[in-house]
Parts: sequence; C-alpha cells; structure tokens
Amino acid sequence: MTDAELDPVIHAQARLRVVATLAALPAGDRIAFTRLQDLLDMTAGNLSTHARKLEEAEYVAVTKTHKGRTPVTYLELTTTGRLAFERYRRSLAELLGGAS
Amino acid sequence: MQPHTHDIEDAPPAPADGLAIIASQQERVRTGAAVDGRLLFLVWGAAWLIGYGALWLAVKDLDVYRPPSGAFIVFGLCISSAVVFTIVHSVRRAAGMRGPSVTAGAMYGWAWGLGFLLQAALIGAFVNAGASHELVALASNGLACLIVGLLYMAGGAMDQEPALFWLGVWILVVAAVASSVGLHLTFLVMALAGGGGFLVGAGIEHARRRARRGPAFGSAARTA
Repeated sequence: MTDAELDPVIHAQARLRVVATLAALPAGDRIAFTRLQDLLDMTAGNLSTHARKLEEAEYVAVTKTHKGRTPVTYLELTTTGRLAFERYRRSLAELLGGAS
Repeated sequence: MQPHTHDIEDAPPAPADGLAIIASQQERVRTGAAVDGRLLFLVWGAAWLIGYGALWLAVKDLDVYRPPSGAFIVFGLCISSAVVFTIVHSVRRAAGMRGPSVTAGAMYGWAWGLGFLLQAALIGAFVNAGASHELVALASNGLACLIVGLLYMAGGAMDQEPALFWLGVWILVVAAVASSVGLHLTFLVMALAGGGGFLVGAGIEHARRRARRGPAFGSAARTA
C-alpha cells in the first residue's frame, strides 16, 4: 500500500485530528462547535474550513440549532465517516507493519 | 505565520505520526470530555472513609447507641461534598455534548436522585412509625448501599465496565456484612471496606487507563 491509497479527505493532519476526536465520542453523539474547538486547540476559521470539507465528503453531519437565543452548531461523525476513519487507521497500521 | 500553519496542517502525516495523532486526540477526549472514574472513586472513597470513620469514632465507646449529631454533621458534609463534586464534574465533562450517551447519562443520574429521594422518604416514615435510633441507622445505611450497589452493577453491565460492576457487588457484600456485625462496627466496616473499596477501584481504573494508553503511544514512538 502507498500513501496514494490513503483516504485523501482524512489524510491531512488537521482533518485527521478532527475526525479522530469525533470518532472518540460514542457513536451517534454530537458535539458543539466551540467545545470541539477547545478539544482541538484550533481557531474557529480553521475548524470551519476543515469541517466543511468533511461535510462535503459526508463524513461529518452538521446540525444548527438554538440554545435559548444563541445559535449553536453541532458536529457529528456519520456512519460513513466512522467507517472511513476505521479504514484509514487500519491502513496506517498496515503501512507501519509492512515497513518494519 | 498563518500560511505556514496551514501548510503543516494540510500536510499528510507519516503513518507513525498519524497513529500518534489519533492516540493523542483519543486521550484528549478521555481527559477533557469523558467522566473520570478515578476522580469520582477517589472522592467517594475519601468521603466514606472520613464520614463513616467519624461516626465510628463517635459511637465506638458508647454502651447504648445514640445518634452522634456532631459526627453526623461531618458525615453529611462529606457525602454532600462528594455529591456536588460528582454532579459538577459530570455536567462539565458533558458540556456541549448531545446525543444518545448524554441522554442515557442523564437518565442514570435521575435514577440516583430518585433512589435517594425514596430512601429519605422511607427513613422519614420509619421514624414516624416509631423506629428506634438503631433501626433508623441500620435501615438508612442499608438502603443507601442497596441503591449504590445495584446502580453500579447496572451501570457497569450497560456500559460494559467490569470494574464498576464489581465495585457494585463489593458494596452490596460490604453492606450485608456491615449490617450484621452490630451498629458500632457497622460504621467501621463501612469506612474501611466501603471507603477502601472505592480507593482500590480508583487504583484499578488508573492502572487500566495507563495500560490502554501505553500501546497506542508505544507503537507510534517505536516507529517514529
């Protein structure tokens, strides 16, 4: 296996961090954008950019709602995203196994 | 600075770095967004050890049991501090989260609240029905342990957390023993075996976390 076969949507440091964080939450759970930002130490603009790419690939579902009068955005890893992450993680492990 | 940061962030990680990133984010979620069982066990272990210990010290030399009001204040403070800590910790860690596991956690929390509300109501009824001080002490302790033990067992079973399940079993066993050794010793058994059980639980949970974290970082470090 080569780098070229790794999922290009996940195979970038920032998006891998986003996906790995969402995958660490129990399946079906959503997290508020600002809370995710805390867990990633990312700027809002940066996280938005990467979240949009993940949303376009249908790896992440975005829900916009209100808490009182404040708008809140929730992000959640979709089933497709979770499968893609597991496949990506397996590929990394296989690459390492092959290299050693 | 910004373009440079973007370059790094968009760069594909080397396989070992990729696995290290995954492991470190999982750890970040564990320490920042999940309830830390070690902390809760530690706080409850200390609360039982000090609270029940104070009760035992106050009654150990009495010929006839009388409720020691000073020691009960210490006990009440210990238990209520642990309750407040548990609620604040759980709510903070779940902040900004929605979904099935958060709903399940809230339902589990309500089970605790309602369980102890019923315990208080029953004790009030026993007092009104003329129960002796000794019976009131035994019943309130036994009922509390029944709630704690069964909810730990159920929580451990549902969340597939064997350590929590066995802690529940241990608390039921301790309560059974504590209820049958005579009230003076009840408090001592509760303090040492009950509080000690929580502290051992904290130790086991700590060891389990370290073991789980080790290989994930270890494999990445070896190949890096």
